[in-house]
Amino acid sequence: METSQNIIDLKDVSVSFDGKIALSSLSLLINKGERIALIGPSGAGKSTLLNVLSLSQVSGTGMLIIDGQPPSYYRNRKVRAKKIGVIRQQFDLVNALPVVHNVLAGKLADWSLVKSILSLVIPQEKEMAKKALTRVGLAHKILEQTGSLSGGEQQRVALARLLVQEPEIILADEPVASLDPARAEDVLDILTKLVLEEKQTLIASLHSVDYAKKYFTRVIGLREGALVFDLPVGELTDRHLSELYKLGETME
Amino acid sequence: MKQSLRFQQKNILTLLLVLVFLWSLRVIDWKEPLLHPGGGATFLQIIEAMLHPNLSPEILLLALDSAWVTLTYAVAGMTIAIVIAVIFGVLASGVIQNSQHPLSMLSKRFFRGLLGFLRAIHELVWALLFVSAFGLTPYSAILAIAIPYGGILGRIFADMLSDVKKEPIQSLQSTGASKWQLLFYGYFPLVRANMISYTMYRFECAVRSSAVMSFVGLGGLGYQIQLSLDDLNYEEVWTFVLFLMAIVIVIDGWSSGWRSRLSKGSSRFSMLSFLLSLSLVIGSWMYLYKVEHASFFTLFTDENGEYAKKFFLSLLGIGEETPTFFSAQSWIHTLQLTYDTLMMSIIAIGMATIVMLITVVPAARNVANGKLTMSRSFFSWVSFLLIRASYILSRAVPELIWAMMIIFIFQPGILPGAVALALHNFGILGKLCAEVIEDLDERPIRHLSSSGASHAQILLYGVLPSVLPKFLSFILYRWEVIMRTTIVVGFVGAGGLGQQFKLSMSYFHYSDITLIILCYLLLVWLADFLSELSRKAAK
Repeated sequence: METSQNIIDLKDVSVSFDGKIALSSLSLLINKGERIALIGPSGAGKSTLLNVLSLSQVSGTGMLIIDGQPPSYYRNRKVRAKKIGVIRQQFDLVNALPVVHNVLAGKLADWSLVKSILSLVIPQEKEMAKKALTRVGLAHKILEQTGSLSGGEQQRVALARLLVQEPEIILADEPVASLDPARAEDVLDILTKLVLEEKQTLIASLHSVDYAKKYFTRVIGLREGALVFDLPVGELTDRHLSELYKLGETME
Repeated sequence: MKQSLRFQQKNILTLLLVLVFLWSLRVIDWKEPLLHPGGGATFLQIIEAMLHPNLSPEILLLALDSAWVTLTYAVAGMTIAIVIAVIFGVLASGVIQNSQHPLSMLSKRFFRGLLGFLRAIHELVWALLFVSAFGLTPYSAILAIAIPYGGILGRIFADMLSDVKKEPIQSLQSTGASKWQLLFYGYFPLVRANMISYTMYRFECAVRSSAVMSFVGLGGLGYQIQLSLDDLNYEEVWTFVLFLMAIVIVIDGWSSGWRSRLSKGSSRFSMLSFLLSLSLVIGSWMYLYKVEHASFFTLFTDENGEYAKKFFLSLLGIGEETPTFFSAQSWIHTLQLTYDTLMMSIIAIGMATIVMLITVVPAARNVANGKLTMSRSFFSWVSFLLIRASYILSRAVPELIWAMMIIFIFQPGILPGAVALALHNFGILGKLCAEVIEDLDERPIRHLSSSGASHAQILLYGVLPSVLPKFLSFILYRWEVIMRTTIVVGFVGAGGLGQQFKLSMSYFHYSDITLIILCYLLLVWLADFLSELSRKAAK
């Protein structure tokens, strides 16, 4: 296997909170350009894994290499912002600001303080924001108050912000959990299309197996912090799934 | 497009308010020296005295005694205020009026207006009027507290009652309950927790008000502070101020403990608190009756009646050849003072806001512990504690007492009044606004931090846009309160309408007083109206 292709290399990573194991000695190799769905029952460690990968979960043991560099390399916020981008279930937009500022927030790591202050009065690099919003189909809402948008629209604003940020890896924590099925498909459609166009690597946790099958190339099943299966999406069978979820139920 | 206009509307309003503040600074004559010749030295003396207050046994005993007097007046005043508030509050809420009756709307309006009038005039103005009418009895202080506090409490009670959820009331109605039964089985139980919690908050304020009552010659902590200030004995001043702070802090802690348990239903703590309040009420009234020999009914002797009659008649200008309020000259003079007073209030809120904005971020608990900004340092805890301590000091000392100290330092005029008002209000604003930051949704801020924004950028993009509308509404609300208080700081020579009020009072020019009160009411209503308007625009 060519090591240069491995954008993420996770070895024997364990995390626990108050004695409860969240991840137990997990190892993963992820290649550039893969679209990976993390599935599994609630409390399986999906969010913890994403937090480890986004470097916001610092306690724990094991080894993590991102694009050939250890986590300490990414302590510089600008370097980290160029490498890793995060999207969650809505709620991480500033509702009191107009859409344009929330989109441009993806650029804050590159901006000086003066430029960021100025931008709140006269939006800087507005063209870039407009382009990004056009790609998610929200160009006409550029000046609206973010809090007044619907859930699906807000999630598309978050996508536009990722477009402006241009990270190499996108970590999505339940990106469609609070949306109805039509909106959820819409958001996943745009997300996976953009990832493909930008040649990014996507790792998303999901509740729905159907979405995993439809939009992703590789599926990882987690239960109680441990790997249950790790397969190309084509090899996933109902037996795998019933094992993943049934085991979870009997443990409760 | 409409949405972006709203965003701009807020910015425009903020800009407008900043310009008004800058405009108000013109009133001060900056060319003249602002400080007394020895003002700087006095300032240092006062600060130095703060570090070693006089803790000799006799002073402590005196302070304890005065603290008790202050507390009894506050409790007695609040007792009457609660009675006023419950009766008029229920009437003003319209819940016992028959909504089909054509007069119901009218009576609701009438009682709302009455409550508005009661709270428009500051308690110290009432106190001065009552002392002139009834003499130096504790009841002048108690009634002076009871009337405005009854007005404020009544207004809030009325709002709470009319905002009650309709479903439980309708289901009670369907069982055939009468209006009175609805009140006792529906409305009161539903708003009980909120009523108690607001009353406790007001009780804390009443203690401060009661402390300044002494300014008109009625005993208590404020009286001792004034005596010590007259003797330039700053060490004693701080002892009394510390006692006042202690009462305020104890009540604050008690009420927040009670409040947090109220939401969880009945508990031993609530029961004990209730018994404690009851015994405070009984104890205070007993003390007034037994020790101060102040029976409520001695107020209504013939002699007092004569005095009161004479006083109120001269307020109306009866017996004078040309009452002040018929002279154009006096109107122009008083309106000039009114304008100065308005400017004083704007300078005061402006200064309080500036100090608050500088200090508020490190004063938020979630900033101090690093949860919001994702960075932790020992230094942030130190600055948190220092700023919070300054907030407590600031709000525990009433404006009037700040003013009494400030006039030793500044030349008389608008500025000392504004500084005193700002000193008292930045602590209140700071506490309120720090709580807004503490209640922020942390998720957007964490995201900004994870996408590489610096601390300053997080503040600009994540914190400020979310908190500014709330800050603005607190600032406007405090401005209303400051407007009511401008007259009080004037009493000690800090300029504006209040200074004139005190002068006219000492020369027995009672029809002047009527004119000044008219202008004062005008200001208070103007402030309420403007702030309501701006708050709507900022929403």
